[in-house]
Amino acid sequence: MKPIIKKGAILSVVLFLLMQLYQPARNVEYGQVSPMHFTKLYKVPAKVQGILQTSCFDCHSNNTKYPWYSYVQPVRIFMDSHINEGKENLNFSEFGTYSKRKQRSKLDRMIKQIKSDEMPLASYTMMHKNAVLTSESKAMLLNWIEETKDSISANN
Amino acid sequence: MKNQIKMKKIILSTVLMAIVVVSCNQKNKPDESVKPAATENTSQLYSCPMHPEVTGKQGDTCSKCGMELTEPVVKTEAVSEEVKTEKGAVTPFSITVDANVNDYLKVKNALVNDDSNGAAAAAKALLATFNAANTTSIDAKLKKEYIEIADDAKEHAEHIADNAGKIEHQREHFALLSRDINDMIKTFGTNKKLYQEYCPMYDQGKSGYWISDSKEIKNPYYGAEMLTCGRVEKEL
Repeated sequence: MKPIIKKGAILSVVLFLLMQLYQPARNVEYGQVSPMHFTKLYKVPAKVQGILQTSCFDCHSNNTKYPWYSYVQPVRIFMDSHINEGKENLNFSEFGTYSKRKQRSKLDRMIKQIKSDEMPLASYTMMHKNAVLTSESKAMLLNWIEETKDSISANN
Repeated sequence: MKNQIKMKKIILSTVLMAIVVVSCNQKNKPDESVKPAATENTSQLYSCPMHPEVTGKQGDTCSKCGMELTEPVVKTEAVSEEVKTEKGAVTPFSITVDANVNDYLKVKNALVNDDSNGAAAAAKALLATFNAANTTSIDAKLKKEYIEIADDAKEHAEHIADNAGKIEHQREHFALLSRDINDMIKTFGTNKKLYQEYCPMYDQGKSGYWISDSKEIKNPYYGAEMLTCGRVEKEL
């Protein structure tokens, strides 16, 4: 082996190992579900909650279920940027801190995003096959969000 | 050949260095999941998220639907209800409302013309107008309401601005933005002559409202496809 390749290989292995030292705080609630959580504000049927849990909460709440490969860098960096962006747009854990107006807007946006298959993201369902919404679960979820949104609209 | 290998090595190490630099630069952000409930005192009344008229202490449940009472009751609410009934009245703040409406109308006109890029640019201007708004002249009781409307409207303006080329996505946000603008006009009044118009075809009749300064229907939800579909709902 040419020494230059050997050096390069050693360097990259060292860098890869060094990278593993960077393990920032995880997006995990450790059992403390916020009182502002979506599921505490609305009566969410168990089935709908199950769908939200497997298909939405990983990126849209303060509690991510991390897969094993999230412990490997630089995977984690990419994952974190996704989660941060997801939470910025919609955070179920802090849904109660949103104004009524914003809650209604968010419910509306959820419906449109799910209907048009924009969400859950294809890059997410690629690695999380169980997060793919079947036509049945999609219909159930949409139906429930519609009802909830309409009940808020009627009360305001 | 040797040069090629050398190049490869340089490229490889540059990429690796870049990754390391990026990962080290990401500061460990403070946990943002601060529980908002911590600051609320115990005498605070809470109301049901679905039935605002039902109130009680924290942890109580609603007598109508059994849900936990989670909405903090704001004491000034009763007063602001009274003010809200004076709809359409011109206030000192109407000038700011008019500035926002003018930018909103540009977004609307771009959508009428199926001009996605134009809508994005106009939405960007609207966002800037919102951010520059001086809220000191707003009655303290109405300030909360204004902030809620403005926050929501700004978010939709931002999405319209960021999604040039995706006109359907822009139109979805435009529907929500239109509701905010409508409520803002209702609460703070306007010096302009405006109309609320409605397309019953859009979104299964649920959200196809928009504000216009003309009685003549030009549909921002369908553009050229169905330009004159819709009707004037009311004068604002």
